[in-house]
Amino acid sequence: MPAIEARRLRKTYRTTRGVFRRERVEQVALRGVDLAIERGELFGLLGPNGAGKTTMVKIFTTLLLPTSGAAVVLGLDAVRDQWALRRRIGFVFGGERGLYWRLSGLDNLRYFADLYRIPPEVSRRRIPELLERLGLAGRERDRVELYSRGMKQRLHLARGLLNDPEVLFLDEPTIGLDPVGARELRVIVRELADAGKTIFLTTHYMFEADAICDRIAVIKGGEIVAEGTPSSIKTVVQDQGVVEFEVVGMPADRLAGLRTLPGVTSVAVADHELAQVVTIHCARPADVMTQLGLVLDGMTMEKVSSREPTLEDAYVQLIGDSPANSEASP
Amino acid sequence: MKHLGLEAGVFARSLYLQYVALFQWATVRGYIAYKVLLPVTQILFFVELGVYATGRQNALYFALGNALQLTANAGIFGVIATVANERQYGTLPILLASPANRLVTFMSRAVVNVIDGIATVVIGLAIVVVLFGLDLRQANLPLLGLCVVIISVTTAGLGLMFGSIGLVMRDAIIVANIVYYLLLIICGINFPVSRLPGALQVLAYSLPLTRGVQAARDAAAGATLGHVSGLLAGELLVGAAWALGGYFLFRGLENWSRRGGLQEAY
Amino acid sequence: MNLLGPQRLVVRSLVRAAFSAFVLSVRLRVISPWSYLNWLVFPLLFAIVGLYVLSLPGAGSSHLVYGVLGGGLIGYWSVAYIDAGNGIQDERWNGTLEQIFATPTPLWVILLGKVCGGLLFGLFAFVPTAAAAFFGFHAVLPALDPWRFVISLGVLTLSFFCIAITMAPLFALWRWAFSMINGFELGVYILCGFMFPVAVLAPWAQGVAGFLAPTWAVKALYAATVAQGPHDFAAWWAVTSGLSLAYLAGAYFLYALVEREARVSGELALV
Repeated sequence: MPAIEARRLRKTYRTTRGVFRRERVEQVALRGVDLAIERGELFGLLGPNGAGKTTMVKIFTTLLLPTSGAAVVLGLDAVRDQWALRRRIGFVFGGERGLYWRLSGLDNLRYFADLYRIPPEVSRRRIPELLERLGLAGRERDRVELYSRGMKQRLHLARGLLNDPEVLFLDEPTIGLDPVGARELRVIVRELADAGKTIFLTTHYMFEADAICDRIAVIKGGEIVAEGTPSSIKTVVQDQGVVEFEVVGMPADRLAGLRTLPGVTSVAVADHELAQVVTIHCARPADVMTQLGLVLDGMTMEKVSSREPTLEDAYVQLIGDSPANSEASP
Repeated sequence: MKHLGLEAGVFARSLYLQYVALFQWATVRGYIAYKVLLPVTQILFFVELGVYATGRQNALYFALGNALQLTANAGIFGVIATVANERQYGTLPILLASPANRLVTFMSRAVVNVIDGIATVVIGLAIVVVLFGLDLRQANLPLLGLCVVIISVTTAGLGLMFGSIGLVMRDAIIVANIVYYLLLIICGINFPVSRLPGALQVLAYSLPLTRGVQAARDAAAGATLGHVSGLLAGELLVGAAWALGGYFLFRGLENWSRRGGLQEAY
Repeated sequence: MNLLGPQRLVVRSLVRAAFSAFVLSVRLRVISPWSYLNWLVFPLLFAIVGLYVLSLPGAGSSHLVYGVLGGGLIGYWSVAYIDAGNGIQDERWNGTLEQIFATPTPLWVILLGKVCGGLLFGLFAFVPTAAAAFFGFHAVLPALDPWRFVISLGVLTLSFFCIAITMAPLFALWRWAFSMINGFELGVYILCGFMFPVAVLAPWAQGVAGFLAPTWAVKALYAATVAQGPHDFAAWWAVTSGLSLAYLAGAYFLYALVEREARVSGELALV
């Protein structure tokens, strides 16, 4: 039996818009998602903002009811069996909020230990262990408002581990952290998975998923568009290469011209300081490079290079060009 | 002349934006709750209390005093809330980094709250007059109206002084709350100033509202402008002193907080 | 709610959770400046105004008893409906609502602890206001019946507790409800007879006041301080308790609605 399972999971938000003439608006966040995560897996859900990652986590953690379909964790239905399920899972949403910032880290943990109905003799032992493991020992009596961003995130994680959960949900745990703090957290997460916990992690950092996850799914617009190990996801772009160069300004007609080159699957333009970086995904990079001079006649290109595709390229391919990045600049 | 024109333009645009901002967040229910229900029940409470203590014949005394005190609500909270909200939403540094004339900017925002305050007083007083069947036949209504306008302006001056504190204090709204209710005790709203200890009487006459309320009560009894001109002049002078003091305090604290980087709420 | 494990252990863990919420609530109030406004500053300001008015020439000597207790009642009510009633909303503003909602402890248990913490602070409001009455105006309670006073205060506490527990989901479900009750704050002072007897109001207002549980408890409280006037304590306590429990019955449905609504809309994280 999988540790986490989604069967045709669907969620539609219904809100109203306007003050005097209220308009009912429906927003589909999940469009019939199927997923199965085995015990002990470190599973990563990748996707851009608004793809449905947080919605899925909230359904699994009993905070949200799906519109239809089933969400089952440890054999328990997240809709009906919420009381039993809440004792066996942990979750970390992270961010600046979610803690009592006027109290100390220790007081926060003690309070949540009681809310998780952990026997006092257990929490008395477990809290110092968690503080030590997460590098908060010695700072536990300081007010949370004095903690750094990284420390707050680790305190969130300590709170999520208070009940020694079998399954841990992490929603973008490294967002807003500096590179050192983020790496430390990833190491801890990997260690937890190695110790046997099932971990469901959402992120929009491809390298993070690539670095620590056993398996990944890519979600776009509420649908899973790819699922597998990082290596298998990269096969989406295995027959592809990438040509990159810098140019000052990319007129619309030249951009269109690049798109019509044989073997080109996508062209993305991103601003980088005073120039634009153009990234072309194509089947035959060598052919494309010989054609560049013709299409971009009269324009100055710099740092022209070709390389093997990365997981990030696979992700971009799966998610699609961002409209903002593809707009031609004068 | 051109400079004055530019300042006038800033004033007008700021006025319009404050009006829009005020009613963007205010729902119909919120407006009814805070602009009708709260003021009316505040007046009613003190009128009932006063009538219980001293008899129905004094209902107008309590109604008028408490209705006028409501103008302080807009004047004080308006300016303090403006500064506090700018601070909370992080736009205060942006505003203060701009070349805009401080006084013009903040007084323009106070104007909307003053107008709003006058409306609150009129609604509150009208409802209580009807509910208690109060007799205003001998009142000098135009003069009473003038008193309302003057008081709402002078209490805005007080608000500017305390609004300055919002530059350096995170919870300036707390100060606003305390000042607002202290006026109930000090300014002769529910009992004569003469009943206070001597030192507090001096404070009472150093604050806006005190002379204005006296003038308004005289106007309600039928007095002419000539009778109350001294009181109104004193009220305006006191209000101007607070406004001026508030302006200089604002500039001083602005410079001080810029050095200490305290303009952010956290 | 599906309780797991031996019943005894379950009850003990829930009581521990509620007590933990109580302690947290008290600690947060001790360090919050706003809390002092509600239980100390505002009641004192109102008490002083009330005492000045109730001691004006023309006021009877018996009026002053309303100045002794009125400020305390105002403070107690303010804390009950603002601090305690916002038990869910303040978690939302703090960003911790999702975190506590998703624990194995039901929300009403957490709120029970928080409301008790709030009411404890509310009771403190009687101290400075009574002190101001005694030291500033030499006002005392003329014929205090201690036991009836304590029981009446207990019954009043029950009514405030039930109201706060009921308001918490109400304010969470419909944010305009807080605005309305906030706007009507002084209306409650009037209708419940905090600083003057309900008997001075118009008959229709007295009828409305009769549906408010605190009205009867306040009546009993004041009756326990004077010798003259009606002393139907048993009836007043019974009506207060009955109305309070009726509010609680309504609260049961509101909590179920909050749980459902929160899980459908997913707006727990929204401020």
